[in-house]
Amino acid sequence: MLLVDAVSKVYGQAPAAYHALDDISLEVKRGEFLCLLGPSGCGKTTLLNILAGFESVSSGTASLNGKRITGPGSDRVMFFQDAGSALFPWLSVEENVRFGLKLRGLPRAEADRTVSHYLAMVGLDEHRTKFPAQLSGGMRQRLQIARALAIEPEILLMDEPFAALDALTRRRMHTFLHDIWTKTGKTIVFVTHDIGESILLADRIAIMSVGPRSRFRDIIEVGLPRPREPAMPRFGELYGKIEGLLTNEVDALQ
Amino acid sequence: MSTIAIVRAAPSVLQPPRSLWTHLRPLAMIVGSMTIFFAVWQVLSSFVFNPHLIPPPTKVFATAVPMIQSGEIFKHIGISLVRVIIGFIAGTVLAILFGVVMGRLKAVNDLLDPIIELLRYLSPTAMIPIAVIWFGIGENSKYFLIFWGTFFFVLINTIAGVMRTPVARYRAAQCLGASELQIFMQVVIPSAVPYIVTGMRVAMASAFMSIIPAEILAADSGLGYLLQTSAMLVQTERIFVALATISLIGFITDRIFRWAVERTLHRYMAFITAT
Ligand SMILES: Nc1ncnc2c1ncn2[C@@H]1O[C@H](COP(=O)(O)OP(=O)(O)OP(=O)(O)O)[C@@H](O)[C@H]1O
Ligand SMILES: [Mg+2]
Repeated sequence: MLLVDAVSKVYGQAPAAYHALDDISLEVKRGEFLCLLGPSGCGKTTLLNILAGFESVSSGTASLNGKRITGPGSDRVMFFQDAGSALFPWLSVEENVRFGLKLRGLPRAEADRTVSHYLAMVGLDEHRTKFPAQLSGGMRQRLQIARALAIEPEILLMDEPFAALDALTRRRMHTFLHDIWTKTGKTIVFVTHDIGESILLADRIAIMSVGPRSRFRDIIEVGLPRPREPAMPRFGELYGKIEGLLTNEVDALQ
Repeated sequence: MSTIAIVRAAPSVLQPPRSLWTHLRPLAMIVGSMTIFFAVWQVLSSFVFNPHLIPPPTKVFATAVPMIQSGEIFKHIGISLVRVIIGFIAGTVLAILFGVVMGRLKAVNDLLDPIIELLRYLSPTAMIPIAVIWFGIGENSKYFLIFWGTFFFVLINTIAGVMRTPVARYRAAQCLGASELQIFMQVVIPSAVPYIVTGMRVAMASAFMSIIPAEILAADSGLGYLLQTSAMLVQTERIFVALATISLIGFITDRIFRWAVERTLHRYMAFITAT
């Protein structure tokens, strides 16, 4: 279980300090798919970076299964929107996936099996000798997913991973991620701007208020049956409700 | 219009002549531009300029032949090349070592950066007098000057490359369980390779530009020395042979360097453009 308890985050020193997050609490259950949704600059990436251990908290605690998060660990893997810079361009598709396995000294044969398993899962099996520069945007994101899954983390932290993809590819990636999540039962914290994306994917949607001193405006249970479609009856209703909440947020600023 | 032309050309029957021309085009361009260059030069120096000041290519060529046959030109090329290569390798190796440390350790960078910022404005030519006093007119002063002309280019590029490793790549490696040392060796340094190679190419050009003044002012062999002695005897044809040799050798060396990089470091040279 991922626990965020009364976390605040202040960037910088006194006169120029920026109070990004204020007294935020959240509980993410094992195997849950949680979306963080909020206006730009509200601190979604900040919160994800705290969970990943890239940023420290200013007060409060973030913990995983009762253990305080103090730095990055291979039980939590972060996904970046810019797969091009997150991947290792000098390694082939196969070698990118093998990178984490090599570090933990997995025997060659076992590593081979794991690599093949996850490449097949993300549908990159026949591209294993290609290099990241030779892949499309969607393929790079799938490679990032395979590389992360291969080290069997408990949690996937995803920061707008599909925002740079075209609408059709993004839709395909939603289905793909949904399948992966069902198959592997990972806990996923997924940051997005896109209301539709959050309704399609999430068990719960945590809506953040505008910064500074951002908090959770509301946490919504989606409760629609899976797999989901934008055409579902309650989809539009939910969309409207969330949009209302976000608009109130942004209007409050003016 | 052009779209239609492409569509028409698409059938495979039409492919071979097109691809043959695509292959031959660069070569044809080079031959064409060289022919024009030499023809214009020939005409100008025969009818417009004083041929003693600008000898026509035919005369330059006629001067070059005996120099090639006697091996004189190769002796000078060999001597200059060895100087460039030794100085270049020494400068590159040391610059990479310093560069990765400075790029990684802020304290070292803060300490050395001001010194480097001052020293890098001293061109190798400016260093010739002191190099001769320190090392004499033998080989060591040439090595030193080439080293000097190489070091700063490679150093500055290496530092930039190490510092510009994308944060996302660094963090991805942390998530995959890499230690700081593993990240440095397996992520940061490979990410810096394209920068280092660029620095080396610039430094290579600098090395070729540095060796000539060094040999003109303080040497008894090498291409610069050939230029110097030819000038003293006002042998413009021999000067032109030396000049042509220098550009040719520089060009060939750069091509060999690029070929070697392509062969050995190809996979590190890929920049992924954002989609
Ligand atoms: N390293 C930093 N130093 C100072 N301020 C920062 C730093 N990182 C983020 N901030 C500030 O904290 C706030 C939250 O940033 P964050 O990147 O978390 O927003 P976000 O919700 O992810 O936005 P977006 O949707 O645009 O990605 C912003 O106002 C930003 O300017
Ligand atoms: Mg963000």
